[in-house]
Amino acid sequence: MISNWIGFYTLSSKEVMRFFSVWRQTIIPGVITTLLYIFVFGVALENRISEISGVSYKIYILPGLLMMNVITNATANTASSMLQMKLLQTLPELLITPLSSLELSLSFIIGGAVRGFVNGTLILLICWLAGMPINDLPLTLIAIFLVSWSFASLGLLIGQLSDSWDQLALIQNFIITPFSFLGGIFYSIKMLPAWATTISLINPIFYAINTLRYTTLGVSDADFKSSFIFLIIFTTLSTVAAVRTMHTGKKIRF
Amino acid sequence: MKDLGIEIINLHKKYDDVYAVKGIDLSIKKGEFYGLLGPNGAGKSTTINAITSLVKPTDGEVKILGKNIVSDFRYARSQIGIACQELSNDFFFPVEELLYYQAGYYGVTRKNSKQRIDYILNKLGLYEHRNKKMRMLSGGMKRRLQIAKALVHDPQILILDEPTAGVDVELRHDLWKYLNELHAEGKTILLTTHYIDEAELLCERVGIIDNGRLIVEDTVKNLKNMVNKSGIIIHTKENFPNLDTILKDFNPAINQNRIEILTKQPNLDLPKIILKLSENNIRIEDVQLPKASLEDVFLDLTGRKIND
Repeated sequence: MISNWIGFYTLSSKEVMRFFSVWRQTIIPGVITTLLYIFVFGVALENRISEISGVSYKIYILPGLLMMNVITNATANTASSMLQMKLLQTLPELLITPLSSLELSLSFIIGGAVRGFVNGTLILLICWLAGMPINDLPLTLIAIFLVSWSFASLGLLIGQLSDSWDQLALIQNFIITPFSFLGGIFYSIKMLPAWATTISLINPIFYAINTLRYTTLGVSDADFKSSFIFLIIFTTLSTVAAVRTMHTGKKIRF
Repeated sequence: MKDLGIEIINLHKKYDDVYAVKGIDLSIKKGEFYGLLGPNGAGKSTTINAITSLVKPTDGEVKILGKNIVSDFRYARSQIGIACQELSNDFFFPVEELLYYQAGYYGVTRKNSKQRIDYILNKLGLYEHRNKKMRMLSGGMKRRLQIAKALVHDPQILILDEPTAGVDVELRHDLWKYLNELHAEGKTILLTTHYIDEAELLCERVGIIDNGRLIVEDTVKNLKNMVNKSGIIIHTKENFPNLDTILKDFNPAINQNRIEILTKQPNLDLPKIILKLSENNIRIEDVQLPKASLEDVFLDLTGRKIND
């Protein structure tokens, strides 16, 4: 359990301050990308693509774009913070302090989760201004938070196990991005061949996007309750995995 | 034992198939200034990183002030400050802020650490640089910041891994002075170095590590006495061709007018040598009695020089 509360608070707030201090790199890009998507799909392509589940295409893709931003930001924060500390030799100065593995992991995860959540809510605001309905605001915020937290946990795990920026980029390009696209950001999985639909059903990003699509647009490819439960289970598992890995000291204590 | 600051019992550490540390036992008393001396790759860093749990021992146990560093990690770690050998870096925060964070990890609030941080910044000559980020600091300043981080929570035990590696002479002397002050305050200090003069000057006891083993430990004075050879160096006024015959009992090494003699009892041999030379009307220019250094101790024990 947490007992070094001051240490825990210090590291958590440092992790949050770390990305706020470079907000041009950590907050603005997501906002700009979303505005570009809205512009391109809204102005140039809207009339060429038909509605999906009774929603205009421009609006249909927004929850997916939002989640992709949340996932990228949350993962990048913990993964890069961890790897950077490793490479810059600041990690040993943290590991020798009386912070337990649980306190260390949760502090890092909080940093990533806050970054995911801040990005998510900002983009939610932009999407709302662009005409996206928000059916259930509290549930929408909870979904954004759960996804931020779970992917911050995964990012921490990835950061701890990576030895170089190359490896980190590899995971980003070959796992996170394909899973995001296959999770149905730009389409309904009903449009996919049967085998691809089956694969989507084990993809956490599919549930992240569909939960949000339901809480905002009211349409979804999967049953909302099961999606939401899946998200909670996924968040729990990824947190446990991150804390356990920190506890083993793999690749950080030798 | 409760008067021990650091106790290492039968420490082994294996990396892949190679043992870096092969059974080290070390007891450092509270308030003692102890030096671990040895060549690069001897196992010094592995040993001290085992104390701070950055290294997971293959076998053995480490205690800090009587408490096990694994089962009592919060207490043990809160009593240690360590300055690692590798200089760290940070892109985000200014020097002062980094110290507040470091104190915070140890459970010290900003309010409570302010006085201490100001004191350390002043003491280590970093006060005017406190608002700079690390990329604006010189190597020497980064080294001082690292020591500041180790001291920020006022630990009982200070561990310094090669603290003066790569720093200029002036800073080295400043750091030595400061370490002596900390020692006088009662801190237990463990220092690793491969600079002989550093260990000789600062440490009350020195342990020499070679090839993963502690091959000897004692006070600097006793270690030097252990080397059963001291030198006598005599310069004569002129060159004499038959010096080696005259001094043949002492097995001298002669180079023109320089005579070097290794002996176990320089105090007894010197008068005899002077007498011999006088009897042969050989005039003496000067006499030197160079003392044995820890370098000689290392050479004597391992047959190698420490920084080879």
